[in-house]
Amino acid sequence: MTEPTLTARAFFEKARAGQLTAIRCGSCGELSMPPRELCPNCHAHSWQPVVLGGEGTIASFTVIRVAPRAHAADVPYAIAVVRLKEGVSILGRIVDMPLEKLAVGLPVRFRPLIAKDLTTSVGFGPA
Amino acid sequence: MRRVAVIGVGVTKFGLHDRTSAELFAEAAREALADADVPASAVQALYYGNVVGGETEHQLHTGPQAASVLGIPSVPTTRFETACASSHAAFRHGVMEIAAGVSDIVLVGGAERVLNVSTAESTEYFAYASDAVWEQPLGLTFPGVFALIARAHMEKHGTTEAQMAAVAVKNHRHGALNPKAQFQKPITIEQVLKSAYVADPLKLYDCCPFSDGGAAVVLASEEVARKHRKPIWVLGSAAASDWMLLGDKRDLSRVPATERAAAAAYRQAGIGPSDVDVVELHDCFTIAEIIATEGLGLFEPGAGGRAAEKGLTGLGGEIPVNPSGGLKAKGHPIGATGAAQVAEIVTQLRGEAGPRQVEGARRGLTHTLGGNTATVLVSLFGRD
Repeated sequence: MTEPTLTARAFFEKARAGQLTAIRCGSCGELSMPPRELCPNCHAHSWQPVVLGGEGTIASFTVIRVAPRAHAADVPYAIAVVRLKEGVSILGRIVDMPLEKLAVGLPVRFRPLIAKDLTTSVGFGPA
Repeated sequence: MRRVAVIGVGVTKFGLHDRTSAELFAEAAREALADADVPASAVQALYYGNVVGGETEHQLHTGPQAASVLGIPSVPTTRFETACASSHAAFRHGVMEIAAGVSDIVLVGGAERVLNVSTAESTEYFAYASDAVWEQPLGLTFPGVFALIARAHMEKHGTTEAQMAAVAVKNHRHGALNPKAQFQKPITIEQVLKSAYVADPLKLYDCCPFSDGGAAVVLASEEVARKHRKPIWVLGSAAASDWMLLGDKRDLSRVPATERAAAAAYRQAGIGPSDVDVVELHDCFTIAEIIATEGLGLFEPGAGGRAAEKGLTGLGGEIPVNPSGGLKAKGHPIGATGAAQVAEIVTQLRGEAGPRQVEGARRGLTHTLGGNTATVLVSLFGRD
């Protein structure tokens, strides 16, 4: 049995420490994030972890004004799909940026959002 | 493969009900069996769509639950869950079972009950159709998913909030002609544009409502269907999937699963988009209708917003879309929606849709999308 290259749990542990991690296929070079078993491009199982720089631009965004129960206290809050410099995209919360200034193409930088119970999620703030 | 026909359809009124989802399904199923003129004892299987029964009704095992409440407890039954496309997935399974020669008469459909819980609760449960590790913890909502998609479409194609509003106005106009619709009142562009933002750029009137309701369809083999007064033939039925995570979708302005499912369904039917006379598609949000009309090949990519604004998709237009009022006005009891769309197309192709009839409609299409666009089913129907 082989150990997984990167689990979701390991991803968020590294994220808590400020590091965004992707995986690169050793067979075809495809970059993927978040982790998965097989390369979606060539279906090989030959991943290597890659540390990303955390810089990207907003590909699309929204401001949530009606929230699920657990997030009701946060409204309004922004969520964006961020296209990272290395070419992969990920969804994250936008923090410390005025909601009315948000725009597609705006540069942002990764930052971990750490809850009181240390649960970590992906955030982006000013570049 | 054997030919398959729809010989009976039934839907409850959509909206607020003080009944369980199984009871709502049972009402629709009784109506569908009566419409098919077959006894309940002739049903050989039940395939059933239900999504958040575990959350809103504390009810799993909803297939046999629905069969028991209907009164056909001994038929084989399975619950299908593909988020908002669940009963379309159940429908496709029934079609394949008959086409394969396993059964001659299959009942398919679904039901949902959500108006017995608060909006904050139902918003949370619908968000369960997004990834629980990567997306839900961010506070992503179902409107939020389509808001991100809308923004991408606006950036790429110049689609406007007024074009999206035109979809809402058109579907409410249609809904006013449908006695089973949740909303039967026309609305104005101004009302849509002045409504509050739910997830920018989507406003309250860009969103379909939460709904309770049930829908059922009786499917039959050609031999059985030939004895029926007006069989409507299933010309094709296809499913496609796509990435769950929004970050993995390469172009948020498109729904690749719609394009793939449509291509497969058209291929099975041996027809193309220009052969379709009437469409029931998944307008959970106004932008979803615009992108679906493009993905189904009714309009060029990027042209869906302008087509809606010009009225090409209204009753009397070039290609009428959602004559029932769509999810937007008819309502969206998520487990029932796919079967309810089939019911509308069958009613249209029989020429029995009354004031919302698309004159002379011979071929129709249904398109149902699951949650975050990771599931799409497309089916094609014909009078002959």
